[in-house]
Amino acid sequence: MSKHNVSRRQFLNYTLTGVGGFMAAGMLMPMVRFAIDPVLSADKGGDFVATKQKVSELTTEPTRVDFSFKQVDGWYESEETNTAWVFKKDDGEILALSPICKHLGCTVAWNTDKSHPNQFFCPCHYGRYTKDGINVKGTPPVKPLDVYETKQKDGILYLGRLKPHGEA
Amino acid sequence: MRWTAKELDMYSKSKEYVDTALIPLIPFSFGGEMKQTGSVNEFLSILSLEIEKQMKGRVLLMPTFHYASNEIDKVERLKHWADVVKENDIRHIFFLTSDYEWKKAEGKLENNLIWLPAIPMENLEKEQARATIGQQVIQILDIFTYNWENEKK
Repeated sequence: MSKHNVSRRQFLNYTLTGVGGFMAAGMLMPMVRFAIDPVLSADKGGDFVATKQKVSELTTEPTRVDFSFKQVDGWYESEETNTAWVFKKDDGEILALSPICKHLGCTVAWNTDKSHPNQFFCPCHYGRYTKDGINVKGTPPVKPLDVYETKQKDGILYLGRLKPHGEA
Repeated sequence: MRWTAKELDMYSKSKEYVDTALIPLIPFSFGGEMKQTGSVNEFLSILSLEIEKQMKGRVLLMPTFHYASNEIDKVERLKHWADVVKENDIRHIFFLTSDYEWKKAEGKLENNLIWLPAIPMENLEKEQARATIGQQVIQILDIFTYNWENEKK
């Protein structure tokens, strides 16, 4: 066992550096945390919401799927219910369209205009969209319907964020 | 569109597309009918917001017309509201109410009075309430579209 001599000066140096280090870290950590906070926070918009729709029951005919989630609207948190029109495309891929008309925000429905069957129809200003959500030229909307991100888990349909048509 | 600064901005930009106003008529009183007016308030508030949500682009949801149950000049007051709205290029005005008193005055108001019995929301499960309101909304939307289509012709 070698005898290691620590002088008083060394001992004080070590102790002060150690304690000082802790103090500096204690002050700096929250500041660093604060600076990179946006990176650390969870991405809330990316959350998927479970619907009650079984994926196996989806057909090529658009079906109305309601789903609810908590939403903060101004001061209040409320349970918001949204709707999506969901169907299987010819290649079997699922397409979930937002029912919000891109003209002024009314709610569109499938196949409700008798003179234009098999289209999405907006009752407010008679806007129309084809089955895959593309706006029909000559009607008020100038953009296609937005599309929900979709995911399947245990045979149940999950809906995620809304994206402009073509990106999802 | 709702009566909020943001949505009224939207209204100013697309005025030519908005030709319909919806005014909920909600009474209050104390005493025996107090709770009943509370039910009506809940029901009509939710219902009118749902209608607005479905028809955002064409219907302007006005601030609620509140009145005391025994108010005598409420019809006159509402007529004045309707006149103001009409002067501003809104052709269709709908009143939404659960109070039968208005039905008696329907002749004096040349606008569309939608009367429907209030559903006491406090007794319903959340899912049930949602389904019930959903049904009501669909039927009321029919009244709106019927009016619009008849005007078109």
